[in-house]
Amino acid sequence: MNRRVYLDHNASTPVHPEVLEAMLPYFGERFGNPSSVHAFGREARDGVETARERVAEFLRAGKDEIVFTSGGTESDNFAIKGVAAARGHGHLITSAIEHHAVLRTCQALEAQGFEATYLPVDGVGMVDPDDVKRALRPDTILVSLMHANSEVGTIQPVAAVGQLTRERGIPFHVDAVQTCGKVPIDVEAFGIDLLSFSGHKIYGPKGVAGLYIRKGTKLVSVQHGGEHERRRRAGTENVPGIVGLGRAVEIRGRDMEAEAPRLAALRDRLWQGISAAAPEVRLNGHATRRLPGTCNMCFRHVESESVVLGLDLKGIGVSAGSACTSGNVEPSYVLVAMGVPVDWAMGSVRCSLGRSTTAEDIDYVIESVVPLVAKLRSLSPARV
Amino acid sequence: MRYSETLLDHFRNPRNAGMMREPDGVGEGEYPECMDLARVYLRVRRGRVVEARFQSYGCGPTIATSSAGTELITGAPLEELVELSSARVERAVGGLPEDRAHAAEVVSAAIRAAARDALGRMGRT
Repeated sequence: MNRRVYLDHNASTPVHPEVLEAMLPYFGERFGNPSSVHAFGREARDGVETARERVAEFLRAGKDEIVFTSGGTESDNFAIKGVAAARGHGHLITSAIEHHAVLRTCQALEAQGFEATYLPVDGVGMVDPDDVKRALRPDTILVSLMHANSEVGTIQPVAAVGQLTRERGIPFHVDAVQTCGKVPIDVEAFGIDLLSFSGHKIYGPKGVAGLYIRKGTKLVSVQHGGEHERRRRAGTENVPGIVGLGRAVEIRGRDMEAEAPRLAALRDRLWQGISAAAPEVRLNGHATRRLPGTCNMCFRHVESESVVLGLDLKGIGVSAGSACTSGNVEPSYVLVAMGVPVDWAMGSVRCSLGRSTTAEDIDYVIESVVPLVAKLRSLSPARV
Repeated sequence: MRYSETLLDHFRNPRNAGMMREPDGVGEGEYPECMDLARVYLRVRRGRVVEARFQSYGCGPTIATSSAGTELITGAPLEELVELSSARVERAVGGLPEDRAHAAEVVSAAIRAAARDALGRMGRT
């Protein structure tokens, strides 16, 4: 049996034992519907509201400004479509490297008559706040920017952008799915009006997430039905999931400060080990303004998926930057937007570390990936 | 795991990998949508392949199928190989998922091209 090393924490994380422990009663004795007035319902309601308080505290927001949803994608859709519906027409600004939940939502709105600007990024995946400033128009109704990119981990200058939008009274949405629980967030200090966050990236359960909505932000509900979530998001609350999300955020608030330098050191150990032993490899993303656990590399003249498969056979889980679907390989649009040449971008591999990652894991990955890449290159015909 | 054990075995331990000096036939197969490329070299004696080698760039299935393809054709007559179907190559690797079927197309195209090249050099196009 191979050793098993999971380096795909930006994709998902295992539920923290303390989170699971907090959730379990809500599958059983506290099963009630939080909308019910009886004691069974009140117990469930208490669980939901405690979670709301914990998230609000982490974000330095008001408790009533937190709405729970089914996932980061729903949160992004809610924020962007909600603002668009409230305004009816206008111009949106986002970046070329957003998650598809943002990009495709903006594209869908363009098809309905809205206009959108997709800002470029520099070579390390950073949006320039001056580009945001230049793109702003009198009819701009929303700026939506991710806090950190899931592929390369570069952390965007959201506070600088938040200052610009606040000065002009334009709502500012931040997709913080990859950062909430990994780095400190202060919605007030950053000038954020809407913020998407999720549970399963931070050792919480899948299928639960949320949206911070600053009081006074004009937003039309996307999902209609009952009076749940102060009539902002209809549907019976996923009580165990919300309780788990709240506990996960609380634990991250407790642990993330100490964990960040440990992860950053392991991340750098990984890069240094690989780059010292493998030729023609490059690091993608900002050298320092980057998620502490994210290391995205390109191996030239190697195809990402063959590296992922080779590492999988060694018990190592990483993700490929280029994706082969239905026989078409697309290099990562994030790397393309960063100007990474295609022959490099085709060989991109993302390693994302987490709380269980050890130095021994990192050394095992280095020992595995270096000969694998050398072998794959030896099989390859010269093509460039 | 969605790949066959045969495929994984060929990926782990590719057979006949590497270039061949002074081959009797060389052919390439390419799948531009995917940027996959396979190159097959043949050594031929009395109209039959006595040795086949490959070099491939692509996803794991393409590399594994290249390996299986070279094993499949060793001993085969060139006339048969100019009409080699991708389905036969796919069977040699234990089948492919639908979205990786291109691996067999790339490799079978390279084999057919190498066989045509070898026949051409022998003056039997």
